[in-house]
Amino acid sequence: MTPEADILQAADVAFAYRPDEPVLRGVSLSAAPGRFTCLLGPNGSGKTTLLRCLMGQLEPASGAIRLGERPLRNYRPRELARMLAYVPQLPASSLAFSAADIVLMGRYAHTGPLGLAGPGDVAVAREAMKMTDTLDFADRTLDELSGGEAQRVMIARALAQQPSVILLDEPTSHLDIRHQLNIYQMMRRLAHDWPMAVVCVSHDVNIAARLADELVLMRRGLIVATGAPAEVIREDLLTQTYDVPVDLIAAPGGDVPMVRAK
Amino acid sequence: MSAPGEKPNRDAVASAPAPGPSLSALRLILWTAALLAVAAAVAGACTLVGVIGLSDLTWEIWASRALRMLTAGIVGAALAAGGLALQGLLRNPLAEPYILGISSGAGVGVLLGLALAGWWAAPAWASTPVLAFAGATCSCLAVYLVAQRNGRVDPYSLILSGVIVNTFNGALMLAGNLYIDRYRIADFAYWAMGQLPDATPTSLLAVCGACVAAGWAVLLISSPAYNVLGLGDDVAASSGVSVHRLRLVTFGAVGVMTAAAVALAGPIGFLGLIVPHICRMIFGPDHRLGMIVAPLGGAIFLMIAETLCRTVGPAVGISRVPVGILTALCGGPFFIFLLRTRFRGAGQ
Repeated sequence: MTPEADILQAADVAFAYRPDEPVLRGVSLSAAPGRFTCLLGPNGSGKTTLLRCLMGQLEPASGAIRLGERPLRNYRPRELARMLAYVPQLPASSLAFSAADIVLMGRYAHTGPLGLAGPGDVAVAREAMKMTDTLDFADRTLDELSGGEAQRVMIARALAQQPSVILLDEPTSHLDIRHQLNIYQMMRRLAHDWPMAVVCVSHDVNIAARLADELVLMRRGLIVATGAPAEVIREDLLTQTYDVPVDLIAAPGGDVPMVRAK
Repeated sequence: MSAPGEKPNRDAVASAPAPGPSLSALRLILWTAALLAVAAAVAGACTLVGVIGLSDLTWEIWASRALRMLTAGIVGAALAAGGLALQGLLRNPLAEPYILGISSGAGVGVLLGLALAGWWAAPAWASTPVLAFAGATCSCLAVYLVAQRNGRVDPYSLILSGVIVNTFNGALMLAGNLYIDRYRIADFAYWAMGQLPDATPTSLLAVCGACVAAGWAVLLISSPAYNVLGLGDDVAASSGVSVHRLRLVTFGAVGVMTAAAVALAGPIGFLGLIVPHICRMIFGPDHRLGMIVAPLGGAIFLMIAETLCRTVGPAVGISRVPVGILTALCGGPFFIFLLRTRFRGAGQ
């Protein structure tokens, strides 16, 4: 399989909420269909800010972001939503909609003035729910689901937008290890089988190293290293990124070692 | 169904029920028709109740009673639709035109019109709604600017800034009382309690009705966006909702509708809170269906409330109660109930 062209490209992106405190200081990154990319780095390294720039929510102070053939900022909201979808850290709380209705909300940018779903929209939503294993609780409301189930519904909702790029912001930070693994495996499947570009902000080095195709290490608004997990999981790079000495432990059966802070 | 621990196989998934939308065009049309029929029946019944016991019924009496029901319907629909839109937009179950100070802002505008009546000869159908809208807009802006931080509105700040603007508007109205003709103070006091006048000029009714219809159309088109907004600003924006524009459009439309309602009947409180909540309990959380059933529900609610106020008071030997007092008496406890039970986790 030939590698597909980058669909999302950020070049030298800088951003500051306050003029004297730059959060991003010239970050370049790309995402391609078929590739699962994880952004890693300590708190405050600018991962989430970068993600918000990539989804068009923040306008970079300098640098350029291109999506497909055009600059990101030239997209109208509905147009952008058909290309790029987002999954937040926490699913919405206190919402009385059923899982199926929430997934159908992903069709907002594809439907008319009242947003009424046609047979085509229902088929897309169904496919998204099948992909995320959420069909079994289509009729239950988000409140009635566990954290892992609710997060899968949010991923299904993003898939219903039929995007080429999906951005996720620490989607497993509140989940147990079984659901963490489940979501990471799902992201990998989406990247490889759908195929789409998956970019995920992550706080878990080991699970990201095990399942992602590409890791991006960030520190203080700069990229420390980008590459395949085997190239990036190195003692010197991780110590530099997280400001803490680390041990690398040979993982059973894997080629990427496990990371433990000393 | 797959056995516990077994991975669901392809066939089992394929045979699972299709995730159908809970809102179809058919369901939307059926509920609209049903509630329209109920609203018409209530309007007819209330008109009949209004003329019971009158011996010399004339066409004029029938017409004036029917017109008052129409006024009540327009006002109730405007306030209920406005309340639903604000609750959806702000993800805040306590939002409502009255609580947020929009109604009192319109009230200041109307009072200004009364105070200036001696100097300014514009016809009432033009001056009252325009001034009410100016007041409502100023209040909307003030509440929003006081409450927002970096474009984000937290529900507690919003209610607090609504209270502040309401208090300020109340002071303006009291001060304004000093400058209106002393023979009209009683009129104004009744109006400020929220009362449907005995006779509304048809020109005023037509202008206000058109404003409410236009505002409602805007809110109906925005209703799917309120659904998506419930998932958070970021998710909504990435789904294709222009969040900032939606805020402006909604506040504008609710401002116009509230101004029209206040120009017709004074500030009637809590209706915009109660009716959308009852509709949500019966019809579910979807704002698209809500934007049709809540206005009809508001119309039905206010027609019945107005008829009760007109008939029960005199029947037990007291003077008739302004309908705004009845809605406040029902709405105050309901507000406390919502605050204690439904407010947890709202606006997150």
